[in-house]
Amino acid sequence: MNRELRIFLKHGLLLFLALAMIGPFLWMLGASFKPNAEIERLALLPDDVHAQNYAIVLRQAPDPHTGHLLNLSFPRWYFNSFFVAAWVTSLQVMTSAMAAFAFSRLAWRGRDTVFLFYLGTMMIPSIVLMLPNYQIMVKLGLVNTYRGLIVPMAFSAFGTFLLRQFMITLPRSYDEAAEIDGASALQLFLDVILPLARPGVVALAILTFLGNFQSFAWPLIMVKDDYLRTIPIGLLSFQSDYGQQTELIMAATVMNIVPLIALFIVMQRQLVAGIQMGGVKG
Amino acid sequence: MRRHPRFVVLLFLAPNLLGFLTFTLVPVALSLAGSFTNWSLRPALPLEFIGLQNYARLLHDQQFYLYLYNTAYLMLALPFSIGGALWLAVLLHGQTRFRHAPTARRATLASGLATLAGAGALWFTGSPNLAYLVGFLGLVATLGFHFGSVTYRTAYYLPNFTAGAATILLWTQLYNPTSGLINQGLGRAAAWLGFEAAGPGWLTSTKSLLGFLPWPEFFNNGGFGLGAREAIMAMGIWAAIGGNNLILFLAGLSNIPPELNEAAEIDGAGGWQRFRHITWPQLAPTTFFIVIISLIGGLQGGFEQARMMTNGGPAGTTTTLSYYIYLQGFERLDLGYGSAVAWVLFLLVFALTALQWSRQARDGHD
Repeated sequence: MNRELRIFLKHGLLLFLALAMIGPFLWMLGASFKPNAEIERLALLPDDVHAQNYAIVLRQAPDPHTGHLLNLSFPRWYFNSFFVAAWVTSLQVMTSAMAAFAFSRLAWRGRDTVFLFYLGTMMIPSIVLMLPNYQIMVKLGLVNTYRGLIVPMAFSAFGTFLLRQFMITLPRSYDEAAEIDGASALQLFLDVILPLARPGVVALAILTFLGNFQSFAWPLIMVKDDYLRTIPIGLLSFQSDYGQQTELIMAATVMNIVPLIALFIVMQRQLVAGIQMGGVKG
Repeated sequence: MRRHPRFVVLLFLAPNLLGFLTFTLVPVALSLAGSFTNWSLRPALPLEFIGLQNYARLLHDQQFYLYLYNTAYLMLALPFSIGGALWLAVLLHGQTRFRHAPTARRATLASGLATLAGAGALWFTGSPNLAYLVGFLGLVATLGFHFGSVTYRTAYYLPNFTAGAATILLWTQLYNPTSGLINQGLGRAAAWLGFEAAGPGWLTSTKSLLGFLPWPEFFNNGGFGLGAREAIMAMGIWAAIGGNNLILFLAGLSNIPPELNEAAEIDGAGGWQRFRHITWPQLAPTTFFIVIISLIGGLQGGFEQARMMTNGGPAGTTTTLSYYIYLQGFERLDLGYGSAVAWVLFLLVFALTALQWSRQARDGHD
């Protein structure tokens, strides 16, 4: 068969698969603009475009069923998700980079043994840690606070592992040159190694931000009050309170997903590189 | 190389080490110790050491066996999502751009213009739904002709990137037995073919594809069919197939020396033969890594789906081990028993990780 024709047919197959993967999102986008009466119709788009679903979810317009504003603070959840994810990301990248530096560029006795021990803890299922960690947060008085959401997530064996794998590939000659110039370990870390490890740092930052923006289990047990909910936990309560109003749920999920898609499109290259670093070198 | 002073090392390690001790090491110890006690959040109960009683109880807990079965059953989706990712990777790694540059430019231009014209005509003749579909497909095709496989990789990766509470809610709506898009579509297709049939109950049904087997009654197999477990599996495949596994397989494929395939082609090997004797063995380390990581994830999985989609039901058929641990710890407040279940899960994960490490050590990886 003609090569160009084969490529053309292959695009047909790839397109069909793309429809299967993106199709649910196409329906979601359409449904978020439907009036309630149209939700059950087999159609992707509304006849009557109903943008006020978004205004209702954002509490700018009353719920037509009750005449009141929704009893849930979606804008606040939105802020919480960004706030918590941003804090966790910056703290986790910092602690991971420092530890990774110690595990890759500093010489000390027992280094590789300690690192192996760190690595071993990566296999502990998070659900095993969840029960006792909750008790620890109770003792520390951090349940139902922002700090309770942020602090336990600020340390990561995976992050340390990822950055250590990256830093260990950098040539030794940098360290030696810095040492001859009389640079301290801190200067070596801040001025030489950290800038060179930037691709790894960026990849870790994306993965951490995403993971915490979408995090479910920990906020679920940590948060009691509505004003501290992050989007995933908020969506859960949204579903139990307004589960019949599919169009509102879909408007909320669209608003959850849109920033993620934007992040993905901007950061795609770095993300792919990061996944390959973490996985292929295993 | 000279040693660094101990305090410098400690300075760099301290922040991470402190968190590691507080939120990993201490909890692990607490959880292990707690699994041998009657640790409970009910304040009236004094803490007591009860030896292996929690573990003995677990051996006779029918629910535990059901939830272990559910966990294993949901993991039957893994071969499909991993095999699918491999298939997609091979598809995307192959040639997706036209060899002849003018052909590529013409295809891009023609597809772009056809999209605009087609979607526009459909929109203004009163078929907005079709216009929406044609517009989407045309846009992807145009980008695909221009950028090649990156376009499709991006599209396939999106479900994985956005996976979480939002996509779970989305699928909950799609699976609604009466108003959901899936059953409505199936109903329309059935009507068009000229018969009438009720669609599957999806998240409300205890049926399963292994429901015809004579399992013990407490497995709650509501007979053969598509039920809640299949619904969760299908969503899982959708979310995983184009995700990190695809990226890893693509990386593995691009590491295969092209000479191997060229030489095989000269020797007259067909596509399947080249896959069987070059691609598959060359990808073995990647595949092994993906399989182990997926098994580990699968053992711990199902929590979010159970909590958001089904509350573990119907009749416990979507409760997995991790959701059971959560229920024991946070709803029945029985932390001792929950910890015992958690440690059984940990041992399963540990066995798989040990396998992965021994294999890596044998192959001489870092």
